[in-house]
Amino acid sequence: MADLAGAFAASHGPLLIREWEAVPPEQKLRLGNAFRALGERIAAARPDVLVVVSPDHWSNFFLDNVPAVCIGVGESNEGPPEPWMKAFPHRELPAHPGFAQHLVREAMKQGFESSVSHRLKLDHGVCIPLWRMGLERLPRIVPMIVNSIEPPLPTLSRCMAWGRQLAGAIRSYPEDLRIAVLATGGLSHSIGEPTMGAIYEDFDRETIRRFASPERELITYLEEQLPSHGNGSEEVRNWLVAHGAAGAQGFELVDYLPVPKVIVGCGFAAWRVAA
Amino acid sequence: MTDYWLSKMFFDLQSPSAAAEYRADPGKVLSNYPISDEVRGRVLAKDVAYLARRTNPYLLRYFFFAAGMKDDEFIAKLRHG
Repeated sequence: MADLAGAFAASHGPLLIREWEAVPPEQKLRLGNAFRALGERIAAARPDVLVVVSPDHWSNFFLDNVPAVCIGVGESNEGPPEPWMKAFPHRELPAHPGFAQHLVREAMKQGFESSVSHRLKLDHGVCIPLWRMGLERLPRIVPMIVNSIEPPLPTLSRCMAWGRQLAGAIRSYPEDLRIAVLATGGLSHSIGEPTMGAIYEDFDRETIRRFASPERELITYLEEQLPSHGNGSEEVRNWLVAHGAAGAQGFELVDYLPVPKVIVGCGFAAWRVAA
Repeated sequence: MTDYWLSKMFFDLQSPSAAAEYRADPGKVLSNYPISDEVRGRVLAKDVAYLARRTNPYLLRYFFFAAGMKDDEFIAKLRHG
């Protein structure tokens, strides 16, 4: 039987690569340490498979068809298409179609219809955290794309419930595998809207605090607050998937720091996983 | 209101070769899409605030990044027109 080996979250953002040299040294050090600390925790969890929960930043989908949730079920996926991600060391990322198909089937039985893709381009949302964490050995990557880019977005409750589906599918997968979850994105940031550049530190810290609250309180808080704290904060949906998968017992904050140079409130978390 | 063809052009220009083609001859690339004269003029005038009402904010940012606009100028145009 498979086991949930851990659940983690890390922010992403193009400027973590494009403007890295311009980040003030003290913040660069903290960001580097936070990514590495998370990478060490993931390595210590020894996952065979890492389910990476991320939005698609217009790399795979367009207005013709924007799925709420898409699960990568193919043998492998492509590395990032963005030209400024050229130095990312993996052009092909092996996946785990057996588990991915199982996840889709089990979710479907419970009334959770995802779309599927047999080949995805894994953009910076997936690949920046993998890169910056410096994992020596990359687990097989099962991408779970959650739309937080183009409305209508899946509801926050649904994202939590998807996390529980994910945990159930891990428990019921017959192969002896260790499967971890990595949510990427958030916390507050604002892209292509008049508030672009804003980081809402108070909101970020309160959001982190609320992840220790009962589920309904957390969801109600986010439903009220997300619309006024930058469109990038909608990516907290991915954190909710990890939260649901881990049994909603709260997380240990690895670090949080607002980084104006990369215009993201950067959060790093490791969940307390339900036994 | 979402302008499908404007958004489609922005989406397509994520490709480095297409972006280079746009930077070399914006009018020629624009003519490949059934975009209204009004919107076409606003694209050429780099009217960020106007275009922001017609496309996804992430696509808008990608386009102006690909077109060579710095983030500071992009943000100023978003805020002040």
